Amino acid sequence: MNNNKKYLVRDKKIITREYLFMKKNEFHNNQAKLPFEEKIKILVELQKIATSFPHSRHKKSLVWNI
Amino acid sequence: MEKTLKVINELKKNGLIDDYAVGGGIAAIFYIEPVLTYDLDLFIVLHKKANNKKLIELSPIFEYLKQKGYIWKGEHIIVEGIPVQFIPADNLEREAVKNANETVYHRIKTKVLTPEYLIVILLRAGRQKDIDKINKMIAQAKIQKTVLKAILEKYNLSEKYHTLIGKYDE
Repeated sequence: MNNNKKYLVRDKKIITREYLFMKKNEFHNNQAKLPFEEKIKILVELQKIATSFPHSRHKKSLVWNI
Repeated sequence: MEKTLKVINELKKNGLIDDYAVGGGIAAIFYIEPVLTYDLDLFIVLHKKANNKKLIELSPIFEYLKQKGYIWKGEHIIVEGIPVQFIPADNLEREAVKNANETVYHRIKTKVLTPEYLIVILLRAGRQKDIDKINKMIAQAKIQKTVLKAILEKYNLSEKYHTLIGKYDE
């Protein structure tokens, strides 16, 4: 797959796959820099999502009460 | 989680444990982006006397928590809504607790394993999810490579690290 291939997205903006992955990486790195308290709030949201799927193996797991 | 940490701090204050530090997934989250986990792993250091015995006695801790109304669910004790797993520290983990980072969570003091010790402990466990966390730690956390190298060498885990993770400077 050519990572330099250009794509037209909203507002006539042109991006490449390389840019898209760079932005994704940036997002994950920024998430890592959040305060610990914020990360725990996100964790609880993740727990809620994971336990909400009907056949989730996490169905019986306890969502934290923070 | 602050209520949970408060209760854990009481264990230390009341002399039921010498020290503790947060490990596992929650310690990883301290350094990397949030990943799904359901329990709070605590490495606990017991009094020297307790450690010298063949059978490590954890019942005083559990009795204390039981009296406070906390209940068991599988291998965890639910403390203020959070499943907590107490892991009596071995040599590596005792050293990790001693060197853990002191921090505060909603004004409650606690200790979290340093990324270097956390990587070594995760590596020793060596499950796929542990390796995934190590790779994230390397990508997103600030690791002191000389410290990591020293711990790996001390606990004969350098080869495992090179096999499963790669070279230190990668």
